[in-house]
Amino acid sequence: MSERSGTSGHLIGFMLAGLVVLSGFSAPPSYAAKNGDFAIQAAYADEVDGVFYLNATIDYQLNDFALEALARGVALTFELKIDLRRVQRWRPDKNIAELLQLNELRYHALSDRYLVRNINSGEQQSFQTLRAALLELGDIHDLPVIDRALLNPKRSYIMRLKSILDIRSFPGPLRVLAVFFGDWRLTSDWYRWRLQL
Amino acid sequence: MRSIFTFLGIAGVLLLFISLGMMIRSTGDASSFNRLHEVILIINVAGVAVLLLLVIGNMIRLGREYRQHLPGARLKARMVGMFVVLAVVPVAVVYYFSLQFIQRGIDSYFDVQIETGLDDALRLSRSALDLRMNDYLTQTQDMVDSLAGRDEQALVSILGSLLRDSGASELTVVGQNSRIVATSSVGASIALPSLPGDDVQLQLRQGYSFVGLDPVGGGGFVVRTAVTIPRFTTTDEPRMLQGLYPVTGRLSGLAESVQQAYTRYGEAAYLRKPLKYSLTLTLTLVLLVSLLAAVWGAFLWSRRLVAPIQSLVAGTRAVAEGDFHTRLPTPTRDEIGFLVNSFNDMTRRLADAHETANRSQHAVESERANLATVLAGLSSGVVALEPDFTVRIANRAAGAILQADLQSRVGAPLTMTGLNAQLLDQFAAVVQQRIEEDEPNWRDEVVLRTDTGRHVLNTACTALLGDNDIPAGYVVVFDDVTELLQAQRDAAWGEVARRLAHEIKNPLTPIQLSAERMRRRYLDTMNDTDAKVLDRATHTIVQQVEAMKAMVDAFSEYARAPALDITRIDLNRIVSEVTELYRTGEIGMELSVSLDRSVASVEADAGRMRQMLHNLLRNAREALPVDGKVVVSTTRRHEGSVELVEIVVEDDGPGFSISTEQIFEPYVTNKTKGTGLGLAIVKKLVEEHGGRITAENSELGGALVRVILPADEDGRSLLAHGRTMPVVSGGGIA
Repeated sequence: MSERSGTSGHLIGFMLAGLVVLSGFSAPPSYAAKNGDFAIQAAYADEVDGVFYLNATIDYQLNDFALEALARGVALTFELKIDLRRVQRWRPDKNIAELLQLNELRYHALSDRYLVRNINSGEQQSFQTLRAALLELGDIHDLPVIDRALLNPKRSYIMRLKSILDIRSFPGPLRVLAVFFGDWRLTSDWYRWRLQL
Repeated sequence: MRSIFTFLGIAGVLLLFISLGMMIRSTGDASSFNRLHEVILIINVAGVAVLLLLVIGNMIRLGREYRQHLPGARLKARMVGMFVVLAVVPVAVVYYFSLQFIQRGIDSYFDVQIETGLDDALRLSRSALDLRMNDYLTQTQDMVDSLAGRDEQALVSILGSLLRDSGASELTVVGQNSRIVATSSVGASIALPSLPGDDVQLQLRQGYSFVGLDPVGGGGFVVRTAVTIPRFTTTDEPRMLQGLYPVTGRLSGLAESVQQAYTRYGEAAYLRKPLKYSLTLTLTLVLLVSLLAAVWGAFLWSRRLVAPIQSLVAGTRAVAEGDFHTRLPTPTRDEIGFLVNSFNDMTRRLADAHETANRSQHAVESERANLATVLAGLSSGVVALEPDFTVRIANRAAGAILQADLQSRVGAPLTMTGLNAQLLDQFAAVVQQRIEEDEPNWRDEVVLRTDTGRHVLNTACTALLGDNDIPAGYVVVFDDVTELLQAQRDAAWGEVARRLAHEIKNPLTPIQLSAERMRRRYLDTMNDTDAKVLDRATHTIVQQVEAMKAMVDAFSEYARAPALDITRIDLNRIVSEVTELYRTGEIGMELSVSLDRSVASVEADAGRMRQMLHNLLRNAREALPVDGKVVVSTTRRHEGSVELVEIVVEDDGPGFSISTEQIFEPYVTNKTKGTGLGLAIVKKLVEEHGGRITAENSELGGALVRVILPADEDGRSLLAHGRTMPVVSGGGIA
């Protein structure tokens, strides 16, 4: 828990660097996605009893910034975006369903364990290692997505999946930095596949 | 439009400050605006960029105005500079100290001793919990011997008994592949027991027991133990016993408290640096927004302040260029507004004065034009002179009378030398002399003499009143009364002639008849002596009566003025015919004639031309001695567009012994013979034809009479109306 004592010169340097970043703030969002350390290795949807269930394996690799924050007690929120789009011939695809899964990862110092809590359900698990916790986070198993009855079998559908480290849930000071510095923007690319009806 | 932009700009800056406030709040606690945080940041950064662009644009504009030396640019630059300095220096100081405060103030909240204390508290808690955990592990290890080799029914029974004795909340026997063999828990839970993780199972397979602390979702802790159940044979299924022991009582509460404090302090310590950065960033944004808004406001304010001064300068320039209708908008009710109002009042008064002056000038010009028209229409000459005798105004008649172009001499001295203007020179000398003799107002007849004769000008001079009774100039009005006097003289002679004819001629015939009767009646009756006396006396009476008759006839002829019979005649032929009569006379004289062939056709009265030539030749013959010489010549000449005929009769006689100016007066002669009416009649005949006659002593030693006649009716009318005929060679005048 030792802290480096900063200097005012360091601060002013940071301020100038921040202004430089500000001046180039209009960079496209894809810039952050390229630095993403999250990777969706596999994903598919199985139909069981008229319901499509999502199964996916996501590789979460945290960078040093995230690891340090986690070790210092900052909770990290992982956002899993799932959406289903109907393919349209001459127009942009239409979004017909969206699902957002939020999981929180935090380090519990007293027990020296990592806690994973599903914000949607409130269910919490503890893991002895970070790796185990990340593996659990990345293992999406039979997550119900949509009823088949809601889909038109004559149309084709695209399912997309993306995982993001949610910087909006950061404490205020950290969020300001995360807005300006791409190192905090951990995200995967969109993983997409055609839903087999 | 500019006001709308200014209002929008101020509203934008206010919104910017509001968003800055939101950002500051979200920097401390994101709960309110965490979803808008990025938007707020972008708004602020964009606002800073927009303000920066506005300031740069204003600076460029001000620089351009400064280089172009536009009015007010220097003042505006100075005001902006002062305002910026006044704004930047204190804000920069506040910024610097705020940075120091952030840096040191935040650091002062964190202390190594607190960190160490929390670490120690955590370790202490762990130690306390470790003791409890080891107890629970020992209990669990004691249980497994009684569970070895039991079937599932027996296990359930044993687990229930062990649960009651151990104080565990759940005891579960787990078989191969995480199969729950038997379980027993406190309370009637229908939920499946939580199985140990892969890491626990791995540790057991390696021959170690497991004990760990699990935080519970709702708060508190559970001690999880796992111990391998011994197998009697190798074919027995590998099993383990998992026990969950709740940490209750004071220990749990204290451990939870230590955990929360440790976590919060650790998070806060970790966020110390980002907090500094965030606060610095926010403060910098606030500084930039404040500074840029202040600078932009300085531009707006200075522009608003300088605008009336600029319009004042522009208005002053317009007034200097003669535009007195410039009106400036009144900006405010302050001193500048008072100045602008005064300027507007001044321009209004100037415009009124200018308009009045224009009206006066127009009136004066109109009066002057009227005066010029009146003067131009006057037959009298009018000359206005400055006190230094330069010409201010001269009408056309003045130039015509004085035979000089006076209108082109306006502004020049009246006395012009070297211009061959004899009349003007004499007139100017007379006028100047009279005025310099301290007689500014006078009226008199001025007699001028030239080669061609005398001119009598009826002249009146009036001084124009100036300041302090000093004349501001003089007006000289004059009229050529030469012809008028001549006409009066002619009329007087005509009257004399008529009276002679009436009063003298009538008694002459009875006198003559009486004398002749006396002679016839008494001549024969007288002795020779008396008869001789009577004869001589009556003869003298008759002779003198004849002479008196001739004289009265001559007068009668002079007074008689029948209408002209103008026809086209051959003047040369008439000259030849008349001169031919004088070649053979009682007194022989040598007569030579020189005729210009171009003088063929002339419009004139043939009878009067003959009479004129007779008179001239008779006059020459009477003046000539025996064998005198007379030369008669005709010449065609032009003066301007007027075609003229010149007849010259020259002799080698005694010439004129009296003034050539008086030679044409009736009854003026230097001869022993004649009535003295010959040349007067000739002059009258010439003037009836619109011509002119001059007399001079010729180079032959005698007299020279020059008659100039217009060749046709057009020339006659031109000569009759235009007295501006220029001076011709030979000394004649128009």
